[in-house]
Amino acid sequence: MKEIIRAAVAILIICGVLFYVNNQLDKSSGRSGSDTISVYNWGEYIDPELVERFEEETGITVVYETFDSNEAMMTKIEQGGTSYDVAMPSEYAIEKMKENDLLIPIDHSKVPNLSNIDPYFLDLPFDPGNEYSIPYFWGTVGIAFNPKLLDGQTFESWEDLWDPSLKQEVILVDGAREVMGMGLNTLGYSLNTKDEQQLQEATDKLKTLSPNIKAIIGDEIVETMRRSEAAVALVWSGQAADIMYVNEDIDYAVPKEGSNLWFDNMIIPKTAANVEGAHKFINFMLDPEVAAQNADYVGYSTPNEQAIELMDPEVTGDERFYPTEEMRERLEVYKNLGLETLGKYNELFLEFKMDAQ
Amino acid sequence: MNRSSKLSKVYLALVFIILYTPIFYLIFYSFNSGGTMSSFKSFSLEHYKAVFADTRLIMILINTIIIALLSALISTAIGVIGAIGIVYLKNRKSRNALLSLNNVLIVSPDVIIGASFLILFTMVGVKLGFASVLISHIAFSVPIVVIMVLPKLQEMSSTLIDAALDLGASKREVLSRVIIPYIKPGIFAGFFLALTYSLDDFAVTFFVTGNGFTTLSVEIYSMARAGITLTINALSGLLFIVTLLLVLGYYFVTNRTKNPLRTGVPK
Repeated sequence: MKEIIRAAVAILIICGVLFYVNNQLDKSSGRSGSDTISVYNWGEYIDPELVERFEEETGITVVYETFDSNEAMMTKIEQGGTSYDVAMPSEYAIEKMKENDLLIPIDHSKVPNLSNIDPYFLDLPFDPGNEYSIPYFWGTVGIAFNPKLLDGQTFESWEDLWDPSLKQEVILVDGAREVMGMGLNTLGYSLNTKDEQQLQEATDKLKTLSPNIKAIIGDEIVETMRRSEAAVALVWSGQAADIMYVNEDIDYAVPKEGSNLWFDNMIIPKTAANVEGAHKFINFMLDPEVAAQNADYVGYSTPNEQAIELMDPEVTGDERFYPTEEMRERLEVYKNLGLETLGKYNELFLEFKMDAQ
Repeated sequence: MNRSSKLSKVYLALVFIILYTPIFYLIFYSFNSGGTMSSFKSFSLEHYKAVFADTRLIMILINTIIIALLSALISTAIGVIGAIGIVYLKNRKSRNALLSLNNVLIVSPDVIIGASFLILFTMVGVKLGFASVLISHIAFSVPIVVIMVLPKLQEMSSTLIDAALDLGASKREVLSRVIIPYIKPGIFAGFFLALTYSLDDFAVTFFVTGNGFTTLSVEIYSMARAGITLTINALSGLLFIVTLLLVLGYYFVTNRTKNPLRTGVPK
């Protein structure tokens, strides 16, 4: 009995010491101020130095937390019990959150740096007038390929994926809208179409791709391409940048028929406790110098016009990640299709997947 | 005979190799000076430095350990009391019912436990954070402790208690001087098992973390989404060492408690 009590006391003492150490760490990193905001972002999606700089400049302490999917984030916010002040969801998630009344409108007078954003990225269909959201990063959907494993093929057109020489070489991202969008784009249709005839045609077209398909997977695409285990993949430009960062052989192309333009955006959830601080944080992230440093660290494309001026022209001049205006015209942002049409997309995508196996 | 024992040794070695290779592969690459797991360039400790330079990560590590220690301690206390209560229940039916209820908690999926805790906490209005994680960890550890302590209690002869009572021990003394010392190995086993369960739990914790409080497994999961960086390898390596120390600690503690018993009760 004595021994057990001794052990229990020892554990409590260890816990006490650890608590103390944690508190000291907390203080030394300047996270103990009374004015705090909590930021909820994707993993590895901000330069940590910038968070520190924001804390120094404003005296606001940032509690930083990460999520791994739009769905996980929405659940946490919807359930309450947390008070995130700023979050960075993708555009389709913003539409859903708007419908569910989970957002606080952004006061544009408190975000003067909004003028730094390229007007091309403002006032988009998922959030007219940017009432609730400010673009954070953006990108496209395209084809990542490894020229070393191919003999001189290029991917100017989606049709090139159907080339018989690519047998069992193509990886697709496991997303209904991305893959169906690819099918629709190949045929020259809009990737927001509600026309059942067009959707059916796209599905039939996709089915003829089956012999070339190696796999339909999620985040593993990045590792697979890095290790040169597959020659071609349908990916988001962000993933392509991640792949190319490690494997320099890889190239990326957005086919000429058009593709999807996607956004991650800063929003203020309904549960926010420090709306004032949240505005300050958003404004800070829109500062040209800050946005440039962040884009440099994360490796995604920034919508900040002024920041692009400050960045390495070799990066921003790369038309694969900063497409020219002419190329941009062919890009489409996903529109909310409504439950019924979205169900149709999912159903047809499933049909295609069954066929591919 | 000789041949079959050799074969069984080879088999055993093979199983251990299969179980341990992934872990050592991961730890091996944590010393890679290159940025990926595709090729080993040269030995370097830079990824470990990166872990220690990141105060946020260190704080998460410490939080994880605090949660594990506290939840294991509290659930051991509750579990031991519960196990004693269950064993000395007079009514066989309700005893079996209680035991089954306990076992249901062990086999029910973590995801369901996590989701139901999330709903409960938000309904009651508990803020997600340290308290919510601690409470849910205690909750899923208690049944494990009960299971570890029960066999010890069942193998204990009831004559021991009768003898103690005959010799004038009060009920409290019976508990603290007879029952608890006898089941001590079970208590320690329960504690360490609860500790490891709490350390590596992902599913339940994933649901109940919030407001800037996370544990290591949840954080690693979020980090891994952006591609596995070798910092994760280094962190996992550290965690592996902590677990190893725990197992060693468990080994020494149980050995120490076994010895006096062995000399005291001749077989």
